[in-house]
Amino acid sequence: MSENLEPSFVKQLQENQNIIHKICRLYTSGEDAHKDLFQEITIQLWKAFPKFRGESKFSTWAYRVALNTAITLYRKSKRSIATVEYEGRQHFTHDIEYNYEEEEQLKLMYKAVYQLNDIEKALVFMYLEDKDYTEISETLGISEVNARVKMNRIKGKLKKILNPLGV
Amino acid sequence: MKELDLLKKDWKKNTASFEQVSENEIYKMIHKRSSSIVKWIFIISVIELGLGLVLGLMISFTKYDQKNIELIKSLGIYGYYIATSVFLYAVIFFFIYKFYSMYRKIAVDDSTKQLLSTILKTRTVVKQYIAFNLTSFAVLFIIFGGYMFYEGYIQGAAKNGAIHPEMPMNIALISMVVLILATAFLTCAFWLVYKLIYGILLKRLQNNYEELKKIDL
Repeated sequence: MSENLEPSFVKQLQENQNIIHKICRLYTSGEDAHKDLFQEITIQLWKAFPKFRGESKFSTWAYRVALNTAITLYRKSKRSIATVEYEGRQHFTHDIEYNYEEEEQLKLMYKAVYQLNDIEKALVFMYLEDKDYTEISETLGISEVNARVKMNRIKGKLKKILNPLGV
Repeated sequence: MKELDLLKKDWKKNTASFEQVSENEIYKMIHKRSSSIVKWIFIISVIELGLGLVLGLMISFTKYDQKNIELIKSLGIYGYYIATSVFLYAVIFFFIYKFYSMYRKIAVDDSTKQLLSTILKTRTVVKQYIAFNLTSFAVLFIIFGGYMFYEGYIQGAAKNGAIHPEMPMNIALISMVVLILATAFLTCAFWLVYKLIYGILLKRLQNNYEELKKIDL
């Protein structure tokens, strides 16, 4: 791999690393698994970097590679599947006016998202990132209409998880 | 859905809270080895493809094979033997070539569905290769085993003083059926174990691929 690509890659990755962190947060639980997946995504990005010609933004390209790594290439260790509980709560930033009810709702929501499958998580992730349906459909390789339909179904599924009795 | 909007707000607020990885650490990371499933699939596939090749070569270099060749020559089917060998090796090399070209197509920046499909197709090539090997092994085993049994029986009968030793039809039929059943059983057992291992390796990929296909139905 060409040596002079390294500085440019490392710089761009360093600037865009939150993309990877967010994916790790969604697909793993626990610090070790987070680091593990972060490293694997970094390696995959670096391996694919010579093919990246700057036709799209680095971040757009990185989203795709990072998601693909999380969904297909990453081998979950037993440790990371065993616990589903969201452990990132300590990262929550609080508003000055502390809203207990909202906090509680958020906790449940994070838990519910963790119960989704890999593909559903990817859709939710891109939704949270304000990606439009064109990009979502291109990233996953599904049609735009069906991406919308699926997102609506996921919303329904989340509602059901939050409120199983439908009250 | 108001909960989702709430989540979105929180999600964005929390972006800045990740412990940042330094450039130095990234430098170190890119020189580490990948432990991705594709790498495992590649290693396992190369072993599987290589095994068929090595086994074939090993057999053809043993004395056992030399004896067989003499036997085959005396039976006057040497031409068929060579043709079969050439055919088998051609098929093996065809599979290796197909695997390699499929493997090269795996691109992590494809769409997720395309990527999953390419990985699964790559494995399908290896699966077909194993199926081919098993089938040809089973066929050869039945033909060769049947022939050996027949020869053994005739020679035994000759020793016992038969002038025109012949194998009775019922014995021939029963032994053939037993041989075919035993071979089929062994082959199926092997195939099941193989499919099981294969299934464990690819379960997650297959599930995700199915899920994506279902969305577009």
